[in-house]
Amino acid sequence: MSFTPEPGTALAAYYEATVPRVGTVLSRRRLGMLDATTIGRYAMTIGAADPIHYDRAAARAAGYDDVVAPPNLLAAVVEWGAGTPESNLQPDGTPVDGDMPLGDGLGLRVMGAGEEMELVNPVTAGAELVIETTLDAVTPKNTRSGPCVFITTSNTFMSADGAVLNRNRRTVVLRDPVEEN
Amino acid sequence: MSTEFEVGDLLPPLTHTVTPFQLFRYSAVTWNPHRIHFDAQHAREEGHAGLALHSHLRAALAVRAVTEGLGPEWRIATVAYRLRRPLYAPVAVTYTARVTAADDDRVTLELVEENPSGEVGFEGTVSATKTDIVDSARLLSVAGATT
Repeated sequence: MSFTPEPGTALAAYYEATVPRVGTVLSRRRLGMLDATTIGRYAMTIGAADPIHYDRAAARAAGYDDVVAPPNLLAAVVEWGAGTPESNLQPDGTPVDGDMPLGDGLGLRVMGAGEEMELVNPVTAGAELVIETTLDAVTPKNTRSGPCVFITTSNTFMSADGAVLNRNRRTVVLRDPVEEN
Repeated sequence: MSTEFEVGDLLPPLTHTVTPFQLFRYSAVTWNPHRIHFDAQHAREEGHAGLALHSHLRAALAVRAVTEGLGPEWRIATVAYRLRRPLYAPVAVTYTARVTAADDDRVTLELVEENPSGEVGFEGTVSATKTDIVDSARLLSVAGATT
């Protein structure tokens, strides 16, 4: 049974504004260079102890060009480069005009819901990254926790020469703001 | 049929306690300013029970169960997961990976995340391919690569 958000709600405004963009390329841009420090810090944070993430010699002995990123590093980074000035963050902290449309100014609540990743080539230190983001789907649902909209984007991460590194298809769930008492 | 793994094999589970410190560092290294991961008051105002674990952190831990369980000659090829419920730090989680398909150079595993109450919060699948590290190292040597 089809479901659409209740008219007049923030979720309805988001849905109506975003559905026409399904199938379009949202952005294609250079992200800059992935350095060894970022790879090491990411590995440290998730508790991955394999020296291929920290030590170039160990990485080369394992067949990589340089220290290699844990599998979902590219997918996990929210902002590349300097990022968004604090004055341009939304009240929940999410960046305005990020890679994924999150209803800027609507106060929607955001949570990750799932992902599919294809790891095509190893991601190693020194890679100059390019990302292309496509809006795949915008799907409203009425769930046990109330009305929501699932949004799915495809991110293709490439090196500067166009070689595909990762293809990620990510879904997040958006809910109406909590009502003020 | 793989000579190393058979359908039904369980890799050693990865048990880990996720702390607010870890969430802070994860937000920092991924440059993620979303407040539900580091501002407990804001998280509660959004209806959460505390600091929410990042979905990507949960995925990273789940994939660790596979990379560490399979060993260095295997590389992750695909990952797919779905979150069934949020988790809040601090929390002890266990990730288990069970082989669902195997041949000589590719395995597929089912991933499950459980918290101490036995609830499944995350389900997924991972496939990995076997590499020939000896050949790769030899080729690098032939190419004159140095450390």
